[in-house]
Amino acid sequence: MWKYILKRFLLMFPTLLGVAILTFILLRIVPGDVVEARYAAGQGQFLDQKVMAMERAKLGLDQPLWKQFVDWMWGLVRLDLGLSMWTGAPITEEIKLRFALSLQVAVMASIVATLLAIPLGIAAALKQDTWVDYVVRVFSIAGLATPSFWLGILMILGFLIIFRWLPPMVYTPFWVDPWQNLAQLVWPALAVGYRYSAVATRMTRSAMLEVLREDYIRTARAKGLWLKLILVRHALKNAMLPVVTVIGLEFAFLLGGLVVTEQVFNLNGLGLLFVEAIARRDYTLTQALVLLIASAFIVVNFLMDVMYAWLDPRIRFR
Amino acid sequence: MAIQAPFDTTADVAAVEPRAGWVPVALAFCRRRPLGAVGAVVVALMILVALSATLIAPYDPLTVDFGAMLAAPNATHWLGTDAFGRDVLSRLVYGSRTALLVGFGAAFFGATAGAILGVGSAYFGGRIDLYLQRLMDVFISFPLIILALAMVSILGNSLPNVITAITIPMVPRCALVIRSSALSIREIPYVDAARAAGFSHGRIIFRHMLPNVMAPYLIMLSAFLGQAILLEASLSFLGLGVQEPIAAWGLMLRGAAVDFAETAPWMAIFPGLAISLAVFAFNLFGDSLRDALDPKLRTL
Repeated sequence: MWKYILKRFLLMFPTLLGVAILTFILLRIVPGDVVEARYAAGQGQFLDQKVMAMERAKLGLDQPLWKQFVDWMWGLVRLDLGLSMWTGAPITEEIKLRFALSLQVAVMASIVATLLAIPLGIAAALKQDTWVDYVVRVFSIAGLATPSFWLGILMILGFLIIFRWLPPMVYTPFWVDPWQNLAQLVWPALAVGYRYSAVATRMTRSAMLEVLREDYIRTARAKGLWLKLILVRHALKNAMLPVVTVIGLEFAFLLGGLVVTEQVFNLNGLGLLFVEAIARRDYTLTQALVLLIASAFIVVNFLMDVMYAWLDPRIRFR
Repeated sequence: MAIQAPFDTTADVAAVEPRAGWVPVALAFCRRRPLGAVGAVVVALMILVALSATLIAPYDPLTVDFGAMLAAPNATHWLGTDAFGRDVLSRLVYGSRTALLVGFGAAFFGATAGAILGVGSAYFGGRIDLYLQRLMDVFISFPLIILALAMVSILGNSLPNVITAITIPMVPRCALVIRSSALSIREIPYVDAARAAGFSHGRIIFRHMLPNVMAPYLIMLSAFLGQAILLEASLSFLGLGVQEPIAAWGLMLRGAAVDFAETAPWMAIFPGLAISLAVFAFNLFGDSLRDALDPKLRTL
């Protein structure tokens, strides 16, 4: 078991390195850099090649590419993400500002999704091909089809027209004023949570259906076990693995993937920071963000694999 | 160079088992999977609308009419007009062209490239398989939208570039699924037989293995269709996808649609409905197709 975990753990690093290299290269293929972006944004500035060269030198952009990459990697090893090329502030600070918000929305959306998905998925599986199943399936396919940003627009529109009310626009940390905080963040969490729950509902349904056909369920029923007990003890427990995986992976994606929904609700989260960083050609910040988002996914993936191996001995002996 | 086989290995197979025509197959599909049939009908209607946009649309989607800005739905403009006085219905009709073009384009290229990579990876095995899989892992670690965003900012945002940007994140996801089906096919003796007959790798991959992963390929393709349309809408909504004045649903939700949402809600409601309906229909159809072809395979 430990050998498997160690092997799987070490496998994370080549992937992370790959992500780092890919991001590094992709960013530098894009025409223009932060200096050009800054001067294009400033008004009445003419492009003085000398000044620009000086600016580049200050940011280390005149160094050969391999040197820039090695510097970045060396920084990472010392847990130093460096400075944002645009604001000059430490990247850890820039990310810290937004991380709490993104994390909270992601956690709340996961709660919404789990609360919806598990009961709905089980109900649909138990009543397969009845109206219950059809309603749940249509509801969840609609969840996959509705863009969460549009759902967000509709929510805001509804509040505005019906209640003449808008969610607060400024972020208040939860511990400062929980009500103000929830009044702002519940809506994006619901908008995203619906889509997310659709993914999880479908997984719950298909996993349950598969498990319900297993021999041990038939055995349990033949023994005359109480149906509820069979469902909870035997079926649900075994069906939960893929469901937990999907919820975990979606959660990892939500941390950075809320790009569009954040725009609608005017949230200053990691997604918005990412879009800004790309537009400004802020290499260091973009790299840090991509690596953060990708490592969230890779780590969750690792944890899921370990959990699978722990629960299913066949995997670790393969 | 491929050595020609003395007999055609593929021709006889079809002859042995006469296939049912597509009409009875389609009818059986409709009877057994009503939800999927509904999806298929909506998809067919959308394709029809997109093809005959010039005939159906009441106005030119690009004509600006400052006399009728932000007009509410009425007899002349059924779904109202936008901030430039452009007819919303006409822009929706033309927007279906953009959506379908991106949807089919990205899904087709993504699934096809993924299938070739997946089958190739499974066929060659060993080191090539290992490296390809690691590379795919890297690509899959990016959320769809993040990779698409990065691609668009590299390529620029013309329509073909948007299609490419959406295609790229789809490739590894498809390759992963196809590879696992192809692995089991590789174990079937006919692949060894083909190798023993001296066929080239290319011929074995394309003529012998690819046709046998048709089921997962079609499933991935139909699953990607909806996703690609959603992704295009998201990119366009951010202003990083298709650019004005092209009619695109995501683009219609951007800017003025949000700014004037209170006074002109039709601008925000109808394009979103169009996106949802389109993706919903594709998903309904794709789901039923998956159930019919391979109930064990899970797609999101």
